[in-house]
Amino acid sequence: MSESSYRGDAFHKLTYLVIDDFENFRLSMRQVLRACGADQIELVRNAEQAIKYCTYNHVDVVLCDYNLGEGKNGQHVLEELRHKNLLRRSSLFLMVTAETSKQMVMGAREHQPDGYLTKPINRALLEQRLITLIDQRKALLPINREIDRENYPEAISLCLQALPRNPRHKTWLLKTLGDLYFRLGDLSHAAKVFDDVLQQRELSWARLGRSQVLLANRSHDQAVANLKQLIDTHPDYMEAYDLLADGLRQQGKLSEAQRVLEQATVQSPNALLRQKQLAEVAEANQDIDTAADAWRRTVSLGTYSIHDSADHYLALGQSLSELSEDQDSAQSVEHATEALEILASMEKRFADQPTVGLRSRIVQCRVLFGQGQHREAEALQNSLKAEFDSNPLIDPDISLDYAKTLFRIGSDGDAKDLLGRLAEQHSDEAELLKRIEALMDEPVGFRQKLKARNLTRDGIKAFEAGDLAAAAAAFTEALAVVPNHTSVNLNLVQVLLKIYEADPTSREPLEECQARLDRLQGLPQQHRQHRRYIALSQKLKGLTA
Amino acid sequence: MTDPKNTSNRTNDSDQNIDFSMVLASTVHDMKNSLGMLLNSLDELRTEHGSTFDGSPRFNTLQYEAERMHNDLVQLLGIYRLGEKRLSAHIEEHYLPDFLNEHMARHAPLLQGLGIEALIEAGDITGFYDADLLTGVLNNTINNALRYSRSKIRLTAELRDGYLVLGVEDDGEGYPESMQHSGTLSFKSLDFNTGSTSLGLFFASSVAQLHREGERCGSIRLHNGGQLGGGVFEIWLP
Repeated sequence: MSESSYRGDAFHKLTYLVIDDFENFRLSMRQVLRACGADQIELVRNAEQAIKYCTYNHVDVVLCDYNLGEGKNGQHVLEELRHKNLLRRSSLFLMVTAETSKQMVMGAREHQPDGYLTKPINRALLEQRLITLIDQRKALLPINREIDRENYPEAISLCLQALPRNPRHKTWLLKTLGDLYFRLGDLSHAAKVFDDVLQQRELSWARLGRSQVLLANRSHDQAVANLKQLIDTHPDYMEAYDLLADGLRQQGKLSEAQRVLEQATVQSPNALLRQKQLAEVAEANQDIDTAADAWRRTVSLGTYSIHDSADHYLALGQSLSELSEDQDSAQSVEHATEALEILASMEKRFADQPTVGLRSRIVQCRVLFGQGQHREAEALQNSLKAEFDSNPLIDPDISLDYAKTLFRIGSDGDAKDLLGRLAEQHSDEAELLKRIEALMDEPVGFRQKLKARNLTRDGIKAFEAGDLAAAAAAFTEALAVVPNHTSVNLNLVQVLLKIYEADPTSREPLEECQARLDRLQGLPQQHRQHRRYIALSQKLKGLTA
Repeated sequence: MTDPKNTSNRTNDSDQNIDFSMVLASTVHDMKNSLGMLLNSLDELRTEHGSTFDGSPRFNTLQYEAERMHNDLVQLLGIYRLGEKRLSAHIEEHYLPDFLNEHMARHAPLLQGLGIEALIEAGDITGFYDADLLTGVLNNTINNALRYSRSKIRLTAELRDGYLVLGVEDDGEGYPESMQHSGTLSFKSLDFNTGSTSLGLFFASSVAQLHREGERCGSIRLHNGGQLGGGVFEIWLP
């Protein structure tokens, strides 16, 4: 144990901030800290005061109650302090909580406090805990200083020097070392750190780190297998779920990724970024009900969070607009009303952001049209058109959403013109072109999208099984829903050519092929299906010549 | 400071099938937080009134029993999560002297009040375990030792036969014959008809079993003797 004079000295030099909404607790905390030898102690009541204080003052040790009553909680304070760089890495943030279960408190993985203090806290315990942490802070200060300066190579060599000398902080040093190599992109050294630990013992943090390296190395299958096993043995390890969902996403297994995130959000519902992930994956799966629920929670968790964003409100409005267009649903009107409400609160909350009004009106326009309020929708459309005509360089994301509205209100021609111009302006942006093509292919609501996708899948299965007639029927039915879908049109052409080759007596399939290819006339050269389109056109020409 | 959201009853009005264990768990959670507040106030009272309360049997009983209830509730929640298969051991490497010192510190006010001397014997060693789970076990065991010891308790950590052994010893009468055993306790072995259900030992045994390394698995042992001549509780971790 350290000697008491050293203790008092260590406490004396540091600055403290106590955040608690109960005056009694603040005062008793100050008393305890003073008894330990601390002198520079600031007491504040809520998050706003805490953040303001940290903006103008350097704090070494923050003692923050998790539950601060109405408004921001301790996790929000931590996130904001770290996000705005108001707290150095070398400072300590201690979360004081009444819960023994960290699950309640746990937020996103990127923001962890340096320690938890579980109430009841007595003086001896706080003193002991702080001494341990201050010793640790002191021992690790040179490393943390380099990390604060983003001088990672120096931080790594300090970690390596400290490891053999410092068994007390071995876990911290190894975790930090793995993380630093990973940040530097030195994956082989990062892997070695984790492997060495795992060789000695199966530790979940090392398994997680190892999986992260595997993912970065694009060894998806191996990473996914590792993470599944980790979750099997540690069903309450939230970080593993997040990383597994990441891996499955990269493998293209989106519905499985969605299931994993759903499990994780049930267990730990308060992490905003996890809800957002779930919303995005569900959206990609066209599971709009789940997406809307997850966006709702993302928006509501954002109320006091540094991660709050107009994009979440907009995405919720867009999901609800999709749901409101579903004519079979009894809740169509409710969804429309909620969509308009969310958009209105977005405009109010983010009034200082210049494009918020425009983005809101684009969605409002199609919601109103879908509810049969054609006159209101038309008035909005006129103002939107004027805005787009006078400003041709509007953000492509906004233009894309405007094109969607144009499709929904029946102005297909205008929508296609807009998308055509957009594709020309951004001909070298693959990701954007992909989204333009997707909208061109499927300018319909999510239920029709799902229907067309299922039919297409059936068609491909039938084709692979050699049942050409069933394949042709399925693709034809799909095209009744999405008549301009490039690859489905080409699929049908391919099947019809095979049917003709098998039985050249009827030339009917060839006529149908011609009609399908005519639809795709003017397919731009940069389109992903362009080569296939040319090849099939030439083949047809050969057969009809 | 307690979260009002936690007290909300999560059963649905239209759903008459009451999930009793869930209602229980959420109530226990609430009670535990209340007791936490109570314990905090007791600590503050003791600090404010200095030596007046030290040696006051009634005040010590108040604090001891509140502590005991708090520990029971923590265990109850742990066992609930165990049943839900949501409890797993997050094993990390910890430095034993720090860990044990922190534990003694948690009990400092009551030790002082009861006039019991606490000894910590841990070499300069590290060990692999889930600190939160072990905290639950040790709190309960130390609290128990406080009840039965005369003047001393001893907290030990050492490596034995490839296991990390954490021990809590007291200088009391020791465990009755029927309770001494080694190995694991099953839920069935709990006797709810006698006053002592050994729920604490069941929890300790379950936590020990969550600690596995290859083929080896943790266990608990109870016997009498040790350096202080009273009861000895040991948890063996691989």
